[in-house]
Amino acid sequence: MIKKGLFLLLLCSYISLMIPLTAFMKERPVAVKLGYFPEAHALKTVAGDHRYLVAQYAVVKVLFYFGTIVEKAKNMIVVKPEYQNMFKTLQTASKLDPWNADVYYFTQAAFTWELNKIQDVNEMLDYGMKHRTWDYQLPYFAGFNAAYFLKDYGTAAAYMKKAAELSKDQLMTSLASRYLYESGQNEIALQFIEFMQQRTMDRKLINLYEFRKKALIAVISIQKGVNAYVRSRGTPPSRIEDIVAAGFIDRIPEDPYGGTFYLDEKGTVRSTSKFAFGTAPIRWSTE
Amino acid sequence: MGNFHCFYSLTVKALIRDRLVHIFSLVVATVFLLIPVFSMFSMRQVQELSITLCLSAISFILLIFTILSGASSVWRDVEKRYTASILGLPVSRAEFVLGKFSAIAVLIVASAIIMGFVSCLVITLITLRYPADIPVNWLNLFVAVSADALKYVMLLSIALLFSTMSTSFFLPFFASISVYFAGNASQEVFDYVAGEYGTTIPFLSRMIIKCVYYVIPNFAVFNMKVQAIYALPLTPAPIFYAILYFICYTGIMLCLSVWSFNRRELV
Repeated sequence: MIKKGLFLLLLCSYISLMIPLTAFMKERPVAVKLGYFPEAHALKTVAGDHRYLVAQYAVVKVLFYFGTIVEKAKNMIVVKPEYQNMFKTLQTASKLDPWNADVYYFTQAAFTWELNKIQDVNEMLDYGMKHRTWDYQLPYFAGFNAAYFLKDYGTAAAYMKKAAELSKDQLMTSLASRYLYESGQNEIALQFIEFMQQRTMDRKLINLYEFRKKALIAVISIQKGVNAYVRSRGTPPSRIEDIVAAGFIDRIPEDPYGGTFYLDEKGTVRSTSKFAFGTAPIRWSTE
Repeated sequence: MGNFHCFYSLTVKALIRDRLVHIFSLVVATVFLLIPVFSMFSMRQVQELSITLCLSAISFILLIFTILSGASSVWRDVEKRYTASILGLPVSRAEFVLGKFSAIAVLIVASAIIMGFVSCLVITLITLRYPADIPVNWLNLFVAVSADALKYVMLLSIALLFSTMSTSFFLPFFASISVYFAGNASQEVFDYVAGEYGTTIPFLSRMIIKCVYYVIPNFAVFNMKVQAIYALPLTPAPIFYAILYFICYTGIMLCLSVWSFNRRELV
């Protein structure tokens, strides 16, 4: 009788504990720390034939970490991301498993806009191309980086030509030719993001692309206003507010990364956020 | 209480007789001597890596110790017909099960204390050689090691339950390992299902996953490693929940173990 009573008491306690515990675990603060991942040569030795699994684990670890950063940015919580550690971890993963497509896909997704490590990303993509000889996406990514970020249209065209040969896709051919001309860059970037978005099912990456699309759409709309202002007045505007005052755009769009848009000396639309997480100054709500 | 104490001391003596202490000392010495060497792989956060390696080593050694001693405990006595002779005497089976559990649990806690102490020495040595930006939070380290010890005592109660039901070594051994992996992943799976992804899977599957989450142990409750590694603030709430959860779940498992062993035909 005592044993049964004790068992029932424990069971009732367990059930009543699980309600607050589940809520607590759901709301528990996520420790936003990526930390260190050991060097590739050491891991290769230790992991043996499990190194492909370790490589995948490294990618998933970075993906989850970055997903948390994106989630926090959505809620306007500024966290300084460990970009260097992220990049290093993915480099390690590429050395452990050079055929892993996720490594290259995620490196392209995270380090071009946020870290501006274009040369490093393209070097990693070149490394990937040596192993994934059938994959048209890697030269496509590298071509986009060369054109959009480095303004090196000759290299971009060569990458796109390679991508077109591998994919037999007319889009790659047309992009290869379009990159030879410096025109409509932001629209090309928008096309590229949509291309990337269509090739993932991961909600975290889709969220990231939504951020970028919003930012690019905002830039495109301001740039169109600037162009209209120049055509109408003959001189470029000194501030974005001038375009709004002249009625070329209704209002200054919001930067999803938390920054403020401005025009540089060449009349190009920029943002204080540099379109990266953790770079915008924290805005105390005093207004 | 006298019988309970007898079973307790017999189990401790049996574990020592099996050269468990020798093997344990050898493994601990090897692993912890290697930690300073492996910590050098990081040139940016040697201290953090050394804490990570120490905590992982403690966790891994305790896992092996718990699974091997817990899964084989009751089953081995039944197999050797030791129970047939001893339980013929006027002693209760509950005392037998609880005595065994207490002996192994005490050895798990003692091992955690020893390894925690060795970890402190290793980390101190590394910190002196490679001073870090953030000082080591020794209290957080103590909490992380204690939480790990609770986790493995809880796993022991599960292994013991399987051991009381089984007629071979395989069920308690593999079932305990499976529960360990499932218990480590359950919170992640639950979070994933509770999030946006959950809306894309059928309602029935979602309910089944949630039911399984409440039945299998949730070892994420005891995970306080990141606070120890990076000296992050640790509030009393997770410690409080971990202790309550440990008491309830372990208590239920022990009740079920006693009930299962009482119903078992030993002749």
